Amino acid sequence: MTVPGSGAPLLEVKSLQKLFPIRRGFLRRVVGHVRAVDGVTFHVERGETLALVGESGCGKTTTSRCVLRAVTPTAGQILFRTAEDVVLDVATLPKSQLRPLRRQMQMIFQDPFSSLNPRRTLLDIVAEPLVANGVGNRAERTERVAELLRLVGLRPEYMRRYPHAFSGGQRQRIGIARALALNPRLVVADEPVSALDVSVQAQILNLMLDLQQQLGLTYLFVAHDLSVVKHVSDRVAVMYVGRIVEMAETAPLFTAPRHPYTEALLSAVPKPDPRLRAQRIVLEGEVADAAHPPSGCYFHPRCSYAVERCRVETPALEHVAPGHFVACHRARELSLRGIQA
Amino acid sequence: MPVLASDTRPILEVRDLRTYFFQDEGTVKAVDGADLSVYAGKTLGIVGESGCGKSVTARSILRIVERPGRLVSGEILLRGNGTEQDLARLDEESREMRRVRGGDIALIFQEPMTSFSPVHTVGSQMIETIRLHQSLDKRAAREKAIEMFRLVGIPRPERRVDEYAFQLSGGLRQRAMIALALSCAPRILIADEPTTALDVTTQAQILALLRILQQRERMAIILITHNLGVVAEMCDEVAVMYLGRVVEQGPVDAIFHAPKHPYTRALLRSIPSIQAPVRTRLPTIAGSIPHPYNRPPGCAFHPRCPDFMPERCDRAEPALDRVGEDQRAACFLYGDAVR
Repeated sequence: MTVPGSGAPLLEVKSLQKLFPIRRGFLRRVVGHVRAVDGVTFHVERGETLALVGESGCGKTTTSRCVLRAVTPTAGQILFRTAEDVVLDVATLPKSQLRPLRRQMQMIFQDPFSSLNPRRTLLDIVAEPLVANGVGNRAERTERVAELLRLVGLRPEYMRRYPHAFSGGQRQRIGIARALALNPRLVVADEPVSALDVSVQAQILNLMLDLQQQLGLTYLFVAHDLSVVKHVSDRVAVMYVGRIVEMAETAPLFTAPRHPYTEALLSAVPKPDPRLRAQRIVLEGEVADAAHPPSGCYFHPRCSYAVERCRVETPALEHVAPGHFVACHRARELSLRGIQA
Repeated sequence: MPVLASDTRPILEVRDLRTYFFQDEGTVKAVDGADLSVYAGKTLGIVGESGCGKSVTARSILRIVERPGRLVSGEILLRGNGTEQDLARLDEESREMRRVRGGDIALIFQEPMTSFSPVHTVGSQMIETIRLHQSLDKRAAREKAIEMFRLVGIPRPERRVDEYAFQLSGGLRQRAMIALALSCAPRILIADEPTTALDVTTQAQILALLRILQQRERMAIILITHNLGVVAEMCDEVAVMYLGRVVEQGPVDAIFHAPKHPYTRALLRSIPSIQAPVRTRLPTIAGSIPHPYNRPPGCAFHPRCPDFMPERCDRAEPALDRVGEDQRAACFLYGDAVR
């Protein structure tokens, strides 16, 4: 399902599945599974940003962790094109072969307070990936750290300081510098700005956009905030209870969503303009439990457009327009409300 | 007291509130001269980024500031039934203050998980609160708790009252928190980041619920949040705080469409908007919020301000002054009033 006219994708995820066992009793017998990620398929082109959005428990973080092989998927393929132009399946690669691959995929974390070791200096923190991969000698590494700090907008003179001397935004810059130390091909950013103050969020989002342009980075951007997503991503995949329900280029997804869940999600975002106190779609009930998902379409109990078919038959992710995929039986007949720019 | 006069006056008025934290390293002036007015049936939003003093303001009103913090000066006038009480002058642990907390003014927190006891059922905690403020027997209080649960939209309330906080989802827990806060029919509800820990669809549910309950009970709400979208959606009146002071205050439409203070303007420009074009850089506010120990001299915003006037803004501090109908800002761009 590549977009027409695009080259070979950097990352192709096919039918990814991750089940977490639920154990009970003295013998810790498996009594069920949480279907955290259940048949997710997408691809990421070189140099683009794909955002995975959804509410808590939708599987967006688990998906990103599978891509990094921080958790081992239950089934499916994660095809990653390496710097040597070889396609490897990250999902099944033996542990011994993962290490060189991990140089090419790095992560930016959510919480800039707990993701930096308070007992180590900036130099230690940013140079750690270099040390771990045996890159350069001490002097070369110091040089590289200085370069990285400049790149993310911090003064290299600060490299002997400890994280506590820095604000949340500056710490997030340190985390970004560390992620970029090894020139990764893919950067997974899991909620990189959700712990930051509003005025600092903008700085970090701009920095990520600038770095992408400067270094040709590819981002897999995991977030729950649709406003943030709109500012950084080329394409968006909306997840609900372990599945992608809609995937499209950013502009059409926001202006003309095709899945009722996307419509509700967009409608629920409070708009920063008191004149737009709109008639919002307030979804009833709660996100389905991934251990006991409903029948048919997982969204049907909360969907105002649901018909009998939605209760029984699970919709597949289908191609409805160029580059636009939707998993909804009624995608072609419904006309849903998006965000007007 | 004439009825008309009591109707137009704010039911809660905070004047020049100062709450300082006295620590070994120095004094943190968390709230340093805040003025606020709250009207019956209306929602006042207090917005600002971390460290601006919005939560400490709420805690000061309820007199639950934790040590080493202390309310240093100011007035907190609570009006109703023809009486006026200055909460700032009451003893924190006095009988009167306890009657106010939960009775006249209730508080809901950001994290409903930590606000409930993990070892008591949510119902028993509610019954305890209800019986503290109303003379009901256990059975009647339980009925009342179930009724409140139903009111806030908790399904199967007669079963849910006997559950523990961990058995409820985030949204239900916040509903239970609201039920607990409203169980004694407070005249003022302080909601401190009530939806920050929730997903957007749950947030929409909770905000809708607060609006309905407010209309029904004619309750005043003080909504404390960093989310300007939530403010635009919910508030009648907005106070913007920066480093312990209110820098701008006015009707919600004026704050969003005719902001006067450079901080308010910059803040509004810098928020990611769902209506913005795809993949656009955001205007940013230079620098970061200073540490409260190093409060800049003069106007605290001057090092980050695009309209900084040398030898003016770094010398003296502007007072919160009229800049339009019902709108006030603390900035030398609009006048010379000094604090």
